[in-house]
Amino acid sequence: MSVKVIGISGSPHRHGNTETLLDAFLDGADHAGGAVEKVILKDLDFTPCRGCNACHKEGECIVKDEALPLFDRILLADCVAVASPIYSMGITAELKGLIDRSQYIWARKFIIRTLYFTDDHIRRHKGLFISTAGLSWDNVFDAAFPAITAFFNTMGFEYYDNIIANDMDRWKGIRGHPTALREARNKGEEVVGVITGLYPD
Amino acid sequence: MPIKVLAFAGSPRRHGNSETLLDWVLAAMQKEDDVAIDKVVLVDANVNPCRGCNACETLNKCIQRDGMDVIHDKIIDADVIILAAPIFCMGICSQAKALIDRFQVFRSRKFVLKLPVVPPERKGKRLGVFLSTAGQSWDHVFQGAIPSVKCFFHVIDVRDRDIQYLMINGVDEKGAIMKHPTAQEDAERLAREVIADIRVRLAE
Repeated sequence: MSVKVIGISGSPHRHGNTETLLDAFLDGADHAGGAVEKVILKDLDFTPCRGCNACHKEGECIVKDEALPLFDRILLADCVAVASPIYSMGITAELKGLIDRSQYIWARKFIIRTLYFTDDHIRRHKGLFISTAGLSWDNVFDAAFPAITAFFNTMGFEYYDNIIANDMDRWKGIRGHPTALREARNKGEEVVGVITGLYPD
Repeated sequence: MPIKVLAFAGSPRRHGNSETLLDWVLAAMQKEDDVAIDKVVLVDANVNPCRGCNACETLNKCIQRDGMDVIHDKIIDADVIILAAPIFCMGICSQAKALIDRFQVFRSRKFVLKLPVVPPERKGKRLGVFLSTAGQSWDHVFQGAIPSVKCFFHVIDVRDRDIQYLMINGVDEKGAIMKHPTAQEDAERLAREVIADIRVRLAE
């Protein structure tokens, strides 16, 4: 089998620091034999969650736009990498908009109870968070983690790791960072290897 | 001059729990003398997300022309700024996050261009209030939202010690907050305290 890896770029800014870091991760995953695809969230036609809770009745979202086929693809992937720069101490509105739309999956699990991920399923599905921040503060990513954790939990993915680099203003961008791109590439290779190892023939 | 209160209803759901909490605060403020309230419903306000272009770092204004044009001036004029927004998926709802991110223009003004956001004589004479609701009853459910809310207020010259919080967890379905034992009373008390506080500061 080929490990399916989907990378979601939540930055409004094309080919910026975060997307470049995601590219390095996907390059590593590709090199290790993964089947890699990248989604640019800002080019997707979708609206944020309306909070209508209609999904609490049937487990279906009533907003029929391009977010729904993307969720189908994420659910079929073995590995998902969600990437967002830090804006105002959190993920971008675009990525948060997508995460909020996963409410219908959450409703299937916890309200309708038609969906259940076994521990084995979760162990075989790995999620990574990729992020960059201009600020040097050590805590600059902390407020992003709870929403990312919630997203991976909802979607049945184990929160495998973070690929994060702060202080972009000092490094003059991700290409000036001494280690981040290499580590992202290595992480891509590593996670595909780990997932492959979970499927002995 | 009346006390100017600018309030954002940040939820995509109209008249839900966080907006009800806001309406309780605003109704109590309205009962005080000389208070002018401006409530902005964010889903109707046409505020697009930040594009991350950083143009505001040189232009001192945003290159996007949308609902923020009006909100920008209201933010500067207001004495009390209130943000009400629910927690979705352990963070502030994306609609409110879009507004917060558009405050980058104030951040650029303050920290990059080193220009005043409000005139020096108004410093310390602005108060912020964050109102939130969450379906989950976990104590930590608001923690992911607070750092972004602090950014929202800090860049518009509302100091950390001048932000008040009222966050109610365990309310999910529309109207659930009506059954909360203390939320309305807490909201009304907060409203009276904030107006009393700003009135003293503005008189100084």
